[in-house]
Amino acid sequence: MASDLSAPVETAALAAEVEGLLDSAEPEGIYRDTRECGAGLLLLGALLISPPTPRPPKTDAR
Amino acid sequence: MAEQAQENSSLSAVVADVAAGVALALDGGRDSSALSGVLAQDDPLALAAIRVLGADVLAPYALRAGGGPGTTTDTGTDMDSGMAHRRTARASGVGAGPAARGARADGEVVRKALAAYPPGADASEVSLWSYRGLVEASRAYLPAGQGGPESPAGAGDRAAGPAAVAGWLQADPWPQLAHRASQLAALSLPGLAPALATGLAARTEDLSRGFVRAVRRRDWLQAAGIGRWLARVPDVPDTLGLDTGLVYVLRMSGGDARVALHTAIARRFHGRGAR
Repeated sequence: MASDLSAPVETAALAAEVEGLLDSAEPEGIYRDTRECGAGLLLLGALLISPPTPRPPKTDAR
Repeated sequence: MAEQAQENSSLSAVVADVAAGVALALDGGRDSSALSGVLAQDDPLALAAIRVLGADVLAPYALRAGGGPGTTTDTGTDMDSGMAHRRTARASGVGAGPAARGARADGEVVRKALAAYPPGADASEVSLWSYRGLVEASRAYLPAGQGGPESPAGAGDRAAGPAAVAGWLQADPWPQLAHRASQLAALSLPGLAPALATGLAARTEDLSRGFVRAVRRRDWLQAAGIGRWLARVPDVPDTLGLDTGLVYVLRMSGGDARVALHTAIARRFHGRGAR
């Protein structure tokens, strides 16, 4: 009996879901390629942890 | 990113199952009666899934009826006369074997889906079009007497009127046009909506832009839907790379059954995409 009572509710919910799937809104947002972002992050990290540029040793001019 | 937006509800899962079954039937992996063979007839989820996929669930019947490459035109006029011929042939009693029994069972399932999920008073235009398309497909592709019910409260007539076609089809900017065309991709089956097909064929360039935009946004379902409309058009620009584009979309979709169904229909009906 309980299933009989819940059946119309379920159908109404499904009908709403059908409408949603049929007329789904286009996803909004900024689209970035995950692989491109990952490569950029890797490059930035490599630049940050790289050792300092070697410089010529200072010489005393006496 | 777009693929993540689609929630994995139980209805989405059943829709994917039905789409996979239809795509398999199109590729010859199953009998044409793809619906009744894979679905429980009184399952509300199954009926809802049929309503979501619309006319596409009867695509194997359209293919069997002769909707293969080379049979469609921009306007669908030739196909329409072919459909009328086939309806007459079926009315005379053609087909009484297991295939005919399967078709009867599928017609019953479609009729139940149409009765269970009619478009309401506040239904979207896409829902009205889709409903009308499924009614028309069941009349055109299934044997005589297996067609769907009349449209409730004139819902289908509202959707199919020329005024409804003329409005957004000519006025919408190309991104909106492409989005809506992809939502109505099931109506690209032969003979279902000639006015819509003609109107979209007149905006091939805009659809091409929409195809590229959808691919750039990684919206594979939209790209595949637009690709189906473009597959019908003979003067689609070569520079678009539609064939390789459809193959790319299919591969990148990660096994999305609805994308696979769109690309299968583009391939089987119009010879576009993977050969």
